[in-house]
Amino acid sequence: MSATLTVSPAAASTATNPHTARPSFIGLVRGEFLKVSRQLTTWLMLLALAGVVVLPFLIALTVGNLKADIQAEPLADLYRFMGQGLTILRVFSGPVLIIVTARLIGMEYSSGTIRVLLGRGVGRIQLLAAKLLTVFLIAAAILAAGMLLEYALSLFVLRAVTGNLDALKAINGTFWADTRVYVATVAISMAVTILMAAAITVVARSLAGGLSASIAWFPADNIGLVFFILANLLTKSDFWLLVTGDLLGPNLNAMPRALLSAQAPGSATRVLEGPLVPVDGGHTLLVSAIYAAIFLAVAVVLTWRRDVKE
Amino acid sequence: MTATAPAAHRAATAPRGDEIVLRTRDLTKQYGKRLAVDRLNIEVRRGEIFGFLGPNGAGKTTTIRMALGLIAPTSGSVEILGGDIATHRATILPRVGALVETPALYLYMSGRDNLRAVAAVLGGVPEARMDAVLDLVGLRARARDRVKTYSLGMKQRLGVAIALLQDPDLLVLDEPANGLDPAGIVEMRDLLRRLAAEGKTVFISSHVLTEVRQICTRVAIVNLGRLVTESTVEDLVRGSGDFTVTVERAADALALVRAQPWGRGARLDGDGTLITPAPNNRGRELTRFLVDAGFVPDSLAPRAQDLEEVFLRLTDNGNGVAK
Repeated sequence: MSATLTVSPAAASTATNPHTARPSFIGLVRGEFLKVSRQLTTWLMLLALAGVVVLPFLIALTVGNLKADIQAEPLADLYRFMGQGLTILRVFSGPVLIIVTARLIGMEYSSGTIRVLLGRGVGRIQLLAAKLLTVFLIAAAILAAGMLLEYALSLFVLRAVTGNLDALKAINGTFWADTRVYVATVAISMAVTILMAAAITVVARSLAGGLSASIAWFPADNIGLVFFILANLLTKSDFWLLVTGDLLGPNLNAMPRALLSAQAPGSATRVLEGPLVPVDGGHTLLVSAIYAAIFLAVAVVLTWRRDVKE
Repeated sequence: MTATAPAAHRAATAPRGDEIVLRTRDLTKQYGKRLAVDRLNIEVRRGEIFGFLGPNGAGKTTTIRMALGLIAPTSGSVEILGGDIATHRATILPRVGALVETPALYLYMSGRDNLRAVAAVLGGVPEARMDAVLDLVGLRARARDRVKTYSLGMKQRLGVAIALLQDPDLLVLDEPANGLDPAGIVEMRDLLRRLAAEGKTVFISSHVLTEVRQICTRVAIVNLGRLVTESTVEDLVRGSGDFTVTVERAADALALVRAQPWGRGARLDGDGTLITPAPNNRGRELTRFLVDAGFVPDSLAPRAQDLEEVFLRLTDNGNGVAK
């Protein structure tokens, strides 16, 4: 400690008056943003995500017959630009949001700082809500920035390849409607991903446990399809195929294709495999909503009920 | 150390002595069949530096966690500043600063950002206040450094700074001397005394009995979740009426004294000094008895017990076995 301990009058007079102070939800969210912004990995991940979004457009510039394609079927190429860009944003923003969510929740348990915050009178659900809102706002910012970047890159590629932006004249109302639907499916995917990471981290009550289990969810979900195919071949039972209709990852993969109009080419939306049985848009939305509700309920109930021993 | 005018004013005007700042009523916490805290009743008054002692596993930290709303009691209640913590935690806990066990910090952030992150919870604290608490704990010069570069003592001091951030009425500190060097311990002691003089109440859980002896006005000793005693330090170490007598032929004097109806508890300590009760608990009568018997004492004084001795006796050498 310092050689001389002094209580300055300023210190006493400028402190928040503890007799009137109350936990502030806005303050909590501000504090969460401070924690996220001070993590170097947050910025590195966002940089890497931007690089991944840019990459397909750079590759497109090297495709020899792109100019002829655009001139022949401009709408199909615009759909491809939109679909590829949003699919990449959906797939690669997932790990970013999982890491941010797991860190934001898990570090409070791992470092014990949750007792400092709750010991200030903050409600447990209030703290969880502030953390979730922070990550949702980050997700919204990623989606908005990603769309702007893709829009700018699409214009750049069109201009660079064809020398003009005439292809944009092919855009019709259905294209914009499909774009809005696709953006909505990316937003749904982001939201469910955040809730999944939150629930798992609350269950694990640690950064390491929450992060590793959350990051493994979607790979396990998607790779798991192979085992269901094997089970179907071995048992000759369609039960295994039907089960895949209720898996979260494949349903999120199938959602854009199931919801977009017939005008959208399949190649614009197909990146990862959907369930092994046909599913419609309503089914994918229902499955996602059920998973989201379960994740939210698990996170809220465990946060609310459990003692804080960290 | 400098006592400022506002501090002096508050010290003068703060109601002292009678107001109960922290009270537990039959506070109980049960994990399965194990009672971690068993019908604990303690009272801490404004302006006190209250020591909360007990061996490992006695239930000290569980009690503190229940007081801060981190753990739900199985039964009983905690009242802080007149309000029940179960129903008024959002209004009460902003008036409490706490450092529970090891300091919990965001290691990747700077010391100042740690303060900002906690301050944000209650809608922010002015930078001047942060400077003040950083000065108070001697960390102003390192405030911009990441906490992971801090020593254990520095982390402990930052934990105290966080606890003091909002100028709390009640300060709850779990082992505040952990990791501090001797000079730091002395300064921590001075700081706690000054906070008490300002009218703040300090509740300390500690194993360092010499520290508790020096700074606490009252102590509670718990063992196996139960309150063993709650008393002023003065009363606790006052002893049980024994006298320490330095005398030649102490063994012979002991035999004589033990033959008396009032002297059956007499004994020799490790140095061969006679420890004995006195007739009618009066030293003057003991002196007269010994002189009359031919044992002229070199010295005779009421025996004060060491706090450590009391603690070990009440907690069966700190093993946590109920007496």
